[in-house]
Amino acid sequence: MRSEDNLSINTSADIIGAVKETKRPQFDLEEIIAKYRPIVSFRVKKSLGSHTPDWEDVVNEIMVNVLEKLNKGEFRGDSSIGTFIFTITSRRIIDFIRQKSKVLKYAPEPNPYPSPYEHIENKERAEITAKAIEKLKPKYKKILYLYYYKELSREEVAQKLGISPRRVSERVNYAQKLLRKMMKK
Amino acid sequence: MKKCKNEDLIDNYLLNKLTEEKKQEFEAHYFNCPVCFEKMVERDEMLTAIKYKGDTIFRDIETEREVEHSPILENVWAFFTPKQWALAAVTAAVLLVVVLGVIPTITTTSPQFFVNDDLVRGGSIRLISPVISVDVIPSQFRWESLGEDVEYKIEIYNHELLWSATTSDNYIALPLEVKERMVTGEKYSWQVKAFSAEGTLIAVSSRVQFPVTK
Repeated sequence: MRSEDNLSINTSADIIGAVKETKRPQFDLEEIIAKYRPIVSFRVKKSLGSHTPDWEDVVNEIMVNVLEKLNKGEFRGDSSIGTFIFTITSRRIIDFIRQKSKVLKYAPEPNPYPSPYEHIENKERAEITAKAIEKLKPKYKKILYLYYYKELSREEVAQKLGISPRRVSERVNYAQKLLRKMMKK
Repeated sequence: MKKCKNEDLIDNYLLNKLTEEKKQEFEAHYFNCPVCFEKMVERDEMLTAIKYKGDTIFRDIETEREVEHSPILENVWAFFTPKQWALAAVTAAVLLVVVLGVIPTITTTSPQFFVNDDLVRGGSIRLISPVISVDVIPSQFRWESLGEDVEYKIEIYNHELLWSATTSDNYIALPLEVKERMVTGEKYSWQVKAFSAEGTLIAVSSRVQFPVTK
């Protein structure tokens, strides 16, 4: 469920403002949000699927929770800050799935490939990437086709193309590099 | 771009191929590894485009596959790797050259042998008897027939030519006067040469010894 409070939380300043400051923060909260919000978002989308309408609310709740805990001094430096945020994120995802399971009987199935067409920006990006892939040389296109589209293992692709599995990885990485260059133009 | 030893897990993570334990380990890792996270986001973008536009992007490859690979052909093709197929093709080509090129040459070329220090081309004659030591002077000499219209010349040697005769049969009886000149305890040898109707030497036997034991 998307709450009224969460709807208004969209910027780092909103999140920091939403945290009741009980201690002077030892961390640069803005930097933490800038660095970890994309990582938390990625993890949440991967676990819940971006088709789950509440995923952004869950991300906001996690970030608020992280800052609250930091302010309360609950991070004692036993682990890295990344691991600290990972643990909070994992717990919140599990809670969310449990809550949904009670209502829906079954937990939502994570969607490994969120449709890019939910957001116009993502759609455009996917279209540009697709066009760039179409322009790749056949040997790179074929490896992307077998490895990602057909989801064959590295060894199976290697056998089909008569190259070593290591060469498959190298070719995939090179295809990615070419795409990066093409997309920058 | 920097490298991380865990970046090999990115693809399997995005394709949901990791075990639950490995998946959680990698998730904990990318919260601490900007290198892996950056690469994963980039890879995910490519993967998303492939998953949603793959039918368009790979239309040409799909068509090519449909035409090229029937299920049976695909199974046969999958039996070997392309390298193994290439090796098999080279082997088949070499065998073809041997069968069509080398073997006919071998069969059409007559064996070479020497007669009185002269190189002769032709077949060979197998001598039938006598070819081992004998107790008595043999009355008849026999060899393998080479067919019709062949004239054979038989030569019997002691230390030098003892007797020579020709016949169109593949055997010859030793004349009494020759037999009387041969003695037990001596070593003799014999040889047969075959000539065509035109008088050309076409085959020669090896010279075989037959000691006449006492």
